[in-house]
Amino acid sequence: MTGKKLVISAVVLALVQIGFLSWMIAGRAAILRNGTEVLLKVEPVDPRDLLRGDYVRLGYEISTLPAKLIADLPPGQTTTAGGRIIVRLKKDADGYWRPVSAFLATPASQPGPDEADIAGTISGGWSIEGDATLSPEYGIERFYLPEGEGRAVETDMRVRPFGVRVALAKDGTPQIKALMDGDKTLFEEPLY
Amino acid sequence: MASYAGKVRQDIARWVENGLINAETAAKLNRDVEANARRSLSFGTVLAMLAAILLGAAILIFIAANWEAIPRITRVLTVFAVIAAGYVGGAWLKLRDYPAFAEAAWVVAAAAFGGAIALIGQMYHFSGDESGAILVWCAGTALAAVALRSNPLTVMAVAIADGWLVMMLLNGFDFRDGFDFPYLYVLMAIALFLVSYWTRSQAARHLIILSLVVYAGFVALSDDWDAMAIQLAIGSAAVFAAAVYASEPLDGLLQLGGRLPLHALLGFLVGMAILQFKYDEGGGLILTSALMLAGIVAAIVLAGRESRGLRWLAYIGFAYELVWIYLVMMGTMLDTASFFLAAAVTLGLLAFVIMRVEKRMRGHAAERGATS
Repeated sequence: MTGKKLVISAVVLALVQIGFLSWMIAGRAAILRNGTEVLLKVEPVDPRDLLRGDYVRLGYEISTLPAKLIADLPPGQTTTAGGRIIVRLKKDADGYWRPVSAFLATPASQPGPDEADIAGTISGGWSIEGDATLSPEYGIERFYLPEGEGRAVETDMRVRPFGVRVALAKDGTPQIKALMDGDKTLFEEPLY
Repeated sequence: MASYAGKVRQDIARWVENGLINAETAAKLNRDVEANARRSLSFGTVLAMLAAILLGAAILIFIAANWEAIPRITRVLTVFAVIAAGYVGGAWLKLRDYPAFAEAAWVVAAAAFGGAIALIGQMYHFSGDESGAILVWCAGTALAAVALRSNPLTVMAVAIADGWLVMMLLNGFDFRDGFDFPYLYVLMAIALFLVSYWTRSQAARHLIILSLVVYAGFVALSDDWDAMAIQLAIGSAAVFAAAVYASEPLDGLLQLGGRLPLHALLGFLVGMAILQFKYDEGGGLILTSALMLAGIVAAIVLAGRESRGLRWLAYIGFAYELVWIYLVMMGTMLDTASFFLAAAVTLGLLAFVIMRVEKRMRGHAAERGATS
């Protein structure tokens, strides 16, 4: 490789990698800026070990989903093959958003007023008969905290109801906006 | 290595003086020595690479610490600057004829790319997709290896892929799906193998073949059915035979520096050892043990002369086999005192075999040295 070519390769490579990273950031910032904001209720996942290194693990009310809510279930199917699930949320009287229906394929109808869709994934093999529940993951099950603040948050989370404000993109991709201690905003995320 | 080059140069000068070779040949030989000495690993290169790895690790840990003292946009831009400076600065160093520092700078830049992915994941609270993040890092590093034609970056990409493989194998257990194997790894291995030709990275090729053996071993271990272990053993034996009988064309194709038989023997030993776990009594035990021992002897006879490493791998396989036979045959019948007796006999037998084989190989080498 000649000298000039090597330098050009290196510059292009740096631009491609930095460009890719910027694209990741821009995508997230766009959801934060333009997404529909919903408030989700946090439920303790594993009471012994919420704090993992520098983040707390978050479980949500919507992390346990009654299988009955699935609206577009093919007749006769008794288990899910796994994969993507869209959960339609509606704002409740207490301000928290709760699931009203769910879709395994792209929803046929648009969300109504005070409604929004969140996308998650479920692992396959779950029963969807009768009173079965599904455990979708939404990719928002972690909140990274500044060093040393984890313990206090973890303790409080056990005694008081916490919430998370989430921005939802049109396709349902969720992005955490803020961690709420009741009505109080604990940590709010800047765009960048 | 440098001392070897120096000695050869002295010898060439002497040969010219004694009229053994002419000046033109001497110049050619000197050029060849020069070219090959450049390519070999010097102590300085190793130190530069260690420094790069430490610096890369420092960047990753610094980011992982989620240090709040600096606003995060500044942190992101700092990492971007490290990426750009590493790649472009490395190219500049390469042109200034500091190849070791150039490669080191590139390794730091590729580590910073991985760190940036982690930092963004932390900034936006991503959860649950480490696998995807590591794959992106691996792809970015492989791209850098191709763009800069870098041997160390190729090895790094393979190492990241291997890390991903291990992570998937260890965490991939899902009680609903059974053992969910990262079959994607085979495709990654093929892609990186192709990259390694362009980047002239023999080390990357060795690492890929080793990791494929480990991968096949994992699949065979978790499989109730023995097909994978049998395929691994038979496939390795076939590769071994090909590597011995068609060594020139095969090594020309794979460019492994003649070490393919070593990998094949390892694959054979791993496959057979796994089969032995499953057939540990009666006819199955006799058959697998006989095949294992026959394979080891065949390996020494066919390729032991060329490779000391292969002989020692064969001895290790032999020792393992003796211990295994002892464990399943005698372990239940004998008490502790007899265990020591059996161990003494085993070790004595092993030492005897190793000494005999090494002596024969030395004899052959001396014979060939005398005739040539």
